[in-house]
Amino acid sequence: MNKENTILDDNRHRKKIGRQVQLPVSNAIKIAWQNIRVRLGRSLLVTSGIILAISFLSYILCSDAIAKNIAGKANQHQIEQLQRDGKLTINSEDAKTQTRWMVGLALLVSFVGVLNSMLLSVTERFREIGTMKCLGALDKLVVELFLFESMFQGLVGTSLGIIMGLSLALGEGSLTYGSAMTGLVPVVGIIKRVGICLLAGTLLTVFGALYPAWLAARMEPISAMRLEV
Amino acid sequence: MNDRAKNSDDHLLAANVVRAVDVKKVFKLGGEEVHALRGCTLSIKRGEYISIMGPSGSGKTTFFNMIGGLDKPNYGQVFIDEVDIASLDAFELAWLRCHKIGYIFQTFNLIPVQSALENVMLPMLFSGMPEADAQDKAADLLQKVGLGHRLLNKPTQLSGGQQQRVAVARALANDPAILLADEPTGNLDLKTGEEIIEMLSGLKDDFGVTVITATHDHKMLSVSDRVIYLVDGRIDRIQRREDLRITVGTIEEGH
Ligand SMILES: Nc1ncnc2c1ncn2[C@@H]1O[C@H](COP(=O)(O)OP(=O)(O)OP(=O)(O)O)[C@@H](O)[C@H]1O
Ligand SMILES: [Mg+2]
Repeated sequence: MNKENTILDDNRHRKKIGRQVQLPVSNAIKIAWQNIRVRLGRSLLVTSGIILAISFLSYILCSDAIAKNIAGKANQHQIEQLQRDGKLTINSEDAKTQTRWMVGLALLVSFVGVLNSMLLSVTERFREIGTMKCLGALDKLVVELFLFESMFQGLVGTSLGIIMGLSLALGEGSLTYGSAMTGLVPVVGIIKRVGICLLAGTLLTVFGALYPAWLAARMEPISAMRLEV
Repeated sequence: MNDRAKNSDDHLLAANVVRAVDVKKVFKLGGEEVHALRGCTLSIKRGEYISIMGPSGSGKTTFFNMIGGLDKPNYGQVFIDEVDIASLDAFELAWLRCHKIGYIFQTFNLIPVQSALENVMLPMLFSGMPEADAQDKAADLLQKVGLGHRLLNKPTQLSGGQQQRVAVARALANDPAILLADEPTGNLDLKTGEEIIEMLSGLKDDFGVTVITATHDHKMLSVSDRVIYLVDGRIDRIQRREDLRITVGTIEEGH
């Protein structure tokens, strides 16, 4: 080591301690994506749970919207025809409550699925998280990694679920109401309900990942040194 | 140079890259208290190669975590470049870990989903370096540790020795002042371990980094400037390189 080098070094290190900067979000997304790809199997399982719950929700909401629209807007002749065929039945309050319970349960089950898989993700990655913290990762990055990972699953699961539920509702509607459906698809109503489904899917995946992500962020850098779980 | 060799006391503070003052650490296990460190005082100069030896449970890892800013002492202070790390907030600590200290682990601890190149780039991205620059520098560092042909391999596709080389390159990413290695050869066979040791001691000369290792490995001793013997949470004795050469017999005995 020559003298000049030492002095340079000394000057550099005499600088005050700086403050760590946040990793750009695009980098965080990239790492989260790598993590998803490696754990694809489990990820697909969670995603299919979300698909089921959201398609159930969107089917119920959208077919309800279609039925209401038909009942309210079809002309007298069409309604009489449908009533004669026994196809225009407005569901009783009891049946509605029951359906609500079922939708709620489906959502809850997929929420628990998300929570469970994210918790698993955190515990099996304690050393990785500790290492990242040793390398200078901030808590915020760790939270982002897990939230993004969950949101990827949520995005795919929710969109597929909505597509499935909506097509089911439309298909069933056109089978049931036949020509009465034409021109009577409640576009605005359906868009609104799709929005509700999107919101539900987002809340599901974000809240399911929030606690695990918080646990991960709290993990100490020394956990990188731990040998066993 | 001369100064560094004969100076172990605190009268050249500016050159102390690490200074631990009466560091104590107590772990509470159930109702019981484990005194892992019972007051360790030590100054380490820039560019030194320090080995910390001692029986299992003597507190090597604990001491290590203290001087690496990974854990806080119950008593006493740790200075890195004469900054008391207890005075740092979370952002400053993260900055310190990112820029001033390079960690090398017994278990390598590469990010499994990332390639060798990405692993080495990571600390640079954390430091705010543009991606293209980080990539160039990472490739360069991997070249230096002899893995220029393995840039895109995932850790699972590399041998233990190669993984540890990646880890060394990663530890050097932000030109740290200190390399901390807790039993870096613990999971490697004899020959591979020797290569890693050689590399670490070479880095000391090439990069001017301060290398601090905890080890059971007697081969580490020959490249050390000083060997710190920990016994039951205390610094039992400190041996300099000059003394080491003469008393090789004692080293074996000391085990
Ligand atoms: N997190 C912890 N909780 C409780 N006790 C701990 C903890 N970490 C270390 N200890 C205790 O502190 C003492 C010192 O441990 P340390 O890991 O520093 O030893 P070491 O010298 O690194 O040993 P080895 O050579 O086996 O790695 C031991 O008695 C250990 O049981
Ligand atoms: Mg140890």
